[in-house]
Amino acid sequence: MSIINYASREIQFKIVYYGPALCGKTTNLGYIHKRINPENRGDLVSLATAADRTLFFDFLPLNAVVIKGFVTKFQLYTVPGQVIYNATRQLVLRSVDGVIFVADSQWEKMEENVESFKNLEDNLAKQNISIDEIPYVLQYNKRDLENIAPVNYLEYVLNNRKKRVQRVEGVSSTGQNVFASLNAVSQILLHKFSKQSDMPKTASSPVALPVEPSMPRKEGAAV
Amino acid sequence: MNAIPCLTIQDVANLDGVLGDFLKKAEAELTVVIDRGGNVISQFGDMTVMDVTIIAALAAGSFAATKELARRIGEIEFNALYHQGNGNHIFMNSVDDDTIMITVFGRRTTVGLVRFYSASAAQNVGALLKALSNGGHGFSFDASDVTAAPVFAD
Repeated sequence: MSIINYASREIQFKIVYYGPALCGKTTNLGYIHKRINPENRGDLVSLATAADRTLFFDFLPLNAVVIKGFVTKFQLYTVPGQVIYNATRQLVLRSVDGVIFVADSQWEKMEENVESFKNLEDNLAKQNISIDEIPYVLQYNKRDLENIAPVNYLEYVLNNRKKRVQRVEGVSSTGQNVFASLNAVSQILLHKFSKQSDMPKTASSPVALPVEPSMPRKEGAAV
Repeated sequence: MNAIPCLTIQDVANLDGVLGDFLKKAEAELTVVIDRGGNVISQFGDMTVMDVTIIAALAAGSFAATKELARRIGEIEFNALYHQGNGNHIFMNSVDDDTIMITVFGRRTTVGLVRFYSASAAQNVGALLKALSNGGHGFSFDASDVTAAPVFAD
């Protein structure tokens, strides 16, 4: 849940990296942590097992653009991908503003991708959020491997919906399109909240998600 | 679509008043009010020694993780949690269904004192949060305020 704080002049957003086990969620966060200016990020907190599997979540706070004098703060989380940790995934999804679904492009992972996406829909539904309401992008990861499904196939199994969302082909181990995925969901989020800001509490209308925002630059800069 | 919850300068001043009074009485170092998703709502005290954002994320996780433990003994959740260190300690208590209050304290005080004063502080914080405005607060931005350039640069 985003919060506007007038005293500290901040707007907070929460973005969750979701996807099956070993698809590269933590690798995404690790790359962002490594590449982003230390002045604009906090520590990467990783609650992992001895074998480096995410047990609880990974967490990385980032400061981003300034909008009308307000600093936007993004809090990035990953969920544990292993099936048994669903309670933890539900916890991490609490108050989520945007999602990056990281799919493993390898053929043998297709079933796990589909299961994980269904699990995301179910867990959002438990918070009374429809997947169609929340800003999200699909990251088809591990595109550098040999035994991968074509993008058209991934689109068919994961993005075959009435309203297709933005997808990004990535290689999180080298950082390819890691920032493109984060920027895509951040832009959608900011545009969604630009519609919501200063809206009376009682107002209600369907959410429209711009897929390719292309508004002129006015204030704020990339960090 | 719901509006974005908003903390006005007056809201923050009111919360600071409650939290400052609590810290003074309990002789604690820092107190942070967070939502259960790990977002910081308000904070008061010595914030130079730790990253409050990270404390908030971990505390929300810690609080939620014990929910199942509570359920096993017939409780819905634990109302308060205490993590004891050698010199510094953390006490967390539930404000309402959406909010938690975290207090960091050291050798100057005791967990009993912190627990005692945190109960009334949580009640006051809860009452203030209920009255928070959602929307109609004067701040708005539209799509043209959002830069087309990448939000984050590699």
